[in-house]
Amino acid sequence: MTPVSTQQHQGNPPTPRISLRAVTKDFQVRPAKDTPSGRVLRALEDITLDVAAGELLTLVGPSGSGKTTLLDILGGLSEPTTGEVLVDGRPVSGPGLDRGIVFQQYALFPWRTALANVAFGLEGPQFRRQGLGKEERLERAREYLALVGLGGFEERYPHELSGGMKQRVAIARSLAHEPGILLMDEPFAALDAQTREQLQDELLRIWSATGTTAVFITHGIEEAVYLGQRVAVLSSRPGRLKAIVDIDLGDRTIGAERDLRSTPEFVAYRHRLWELLHGEVASAQRAGHQKIQPDGTERAA
Amino acid sequence: MTTTPTIDSVPTTDAAAAPEDARVRNSDGAPARSDGAPDPAKPGRPAGKFLLSKVFRAVKVAVWRSAAIVLFLLAWELVPQFLLGEDTRVFLPPLHDVLLALRDAITTGELWEHLSASLTRSVAGFSIAVTAGITLGLALSWYRGLASFLTPLLELFRNTAALALLPVFVLLLGIGETSKITIVAYASFFPVLLNTIAGATTVDPLLIRAARSLGLSQLRLFQKVILPSAVPTIFTGIRMGGTASILVLIAAEMVGAKAGLGFQIVNAQSSFLIPQMYAGILTVSLLGLAVNVGLVRLEAHFSRWRTFAPTR
Repeated sequence: MTPVSTQQHQGNPPTPRISLRAVTKDFQVRPAKDTPSGRVLRALEDITLDVAAGELLTLVGPSGSGKTTLLDILGGLSEPTTGEVLVDGRPVSGPGLDRGIVFQQYALFPWRTALANVAFGLEGPQFRRQGLGKEERLERAREYLALVGLGGFEERYPHELSGGMKQRVAIARSLAHEPGILLMDEPFAALDAQTREQLQDELLRIWSATGTTAVFITHGIEEAVYLGQRVAVLSSRPGRLKAIVDIDLGDRTIGAERDLRSTPEFVAYRHRLWELLHGEVASAQRAGHQKIQPDGTERAA
Repeated sequence: MTTTPTIDSVPTTDAAAAPEDARVRNSDGAPARSDGAPDPAKPGRPAGKFLLSKVFRAVKVAVWRSAAIVLFLLAWELVPQFLLGEDTRVFLPPLHDVLLALRDAITTGELWEHLSASLTRSVAGFSIAVTAGITLGLALSWYRGLASFLTPLLELFRNTAALALLPVFVLLLGIGETSKITIVAYASFFPVLLNTIAGATTVDPLLIRAARSLGLSQLRLFQKVILPSAVPTIFTGIRMGGTASILVLIAAEMVGAKAGLGFQIVNAQSSFLIPQMYAGILTVSLLGLAVNVGLVRLEAHFSRWRTFAPTR
């Protein structure tokens, strides 16, 4: 049951890009009728995990296993109760432009065009200091929109785009400031199956083109195997690291051509992860999991 | 069913028939051709028909939507002339008398004098209200502590009818312009304030998370996310405030003023210039309508990203 990470056995590995050290997160649940004083809910327990530079790690777990909480901690949007998160060996103190987040619900600014949404992250003072003027900003935004296959849609508003296109814009926005680390929280969960597979291939192409380190959260086993070089499996609440599975399926950027999903290797990985998750999903359902909002309120997952 | 021989192959087989007839017969049952897509032989007709029916529908809608107003004006013109007695007609003159009085007021410049007096006051008061309402609203949404401190007081003021305070304003600020501008500002301040607070405090939390993940400071978050997201709601407040400013101003001018539309109406009434009084009322209606239409347009312009229809 001990999580085994490959790098930890390779003698003296280079500094991991992301390093989680015994991360635990507790939430104070808001007082309700049955629990007047409020109670403490443990979302994550003792997560220790390294992500190497340029790696694409997928993270699967049943609902309520603290996946989003973990991503929030990685993104610096919330702090671990105990333990620490290191990026390039330095502790994370808050959100930063070295990490880009892609949310499940796109989170595009509806009053901005696709182009202006992508340029959003480039408008900070640090870019102005670098001498990035408005023209350069829009030029770079245009490049990234083209990278996600949305050249020609620059002037569209989010409400004029389909779900898949919105998520492409969101990915372009997270990449435009060249973050080095891309954190994705079930980004394709709200899309239909066909669009999802298409975007998975796009993501692999972009990932290998940009050399980004990526952490991809999903509840889909197939998606986890298809995208991940390694798959980290979380247990049901409190989320603990149950296993890390190395996925070796060769060059996955050509997966679209050879129907990777039906190869025996793929099926075997899928089955192994299913076995790891099966019991967890059942226990999560027995517990009747509730999603904890960032403000500590609970909501049915 | 022999559907294969079509237009192209017709002329040789049925030499005597005109192409049109041949087609019908050849297709083995005429209705089969006329039920589907536009006839390729006559591309002009369906488009023309479509345009015609569109125009017809537009006219129908226009007639229907103006019918009530036209009927009302007709009644205004005819009822006093034919149904009312001499003595009542004096107090409710037919429309054409009112329009004549309105024309006179325009040509003598009297109307413009009152209209400009009213407009000056409402624009001044409304501008103060918009500036103060948005500023205070944003401040209260930024400093939540201040908000919870001031909200009970603001609720009290908001629920005090503006006109009830007119005597106070007159006592404190005199009967001149200041008291009227103040009451206009007071009446249109609250819609602007409350909508600004509502807009700036109900931003989609996901957008805030996204912006924070992009490393925005609190101040820039406010400037780049909260403010733009609140703009449509703020403009709703501005529209409501604009309407309130006209309504309250007319009432205030009726109580004590030397110029303005409200004064003109009351003055005409007490001078027994009844058509002139109605001319004033008509002007007030048109002014209110114009202000409202203008503000609705403005609001729609600033809210256009909110419309989730595929067309802009």
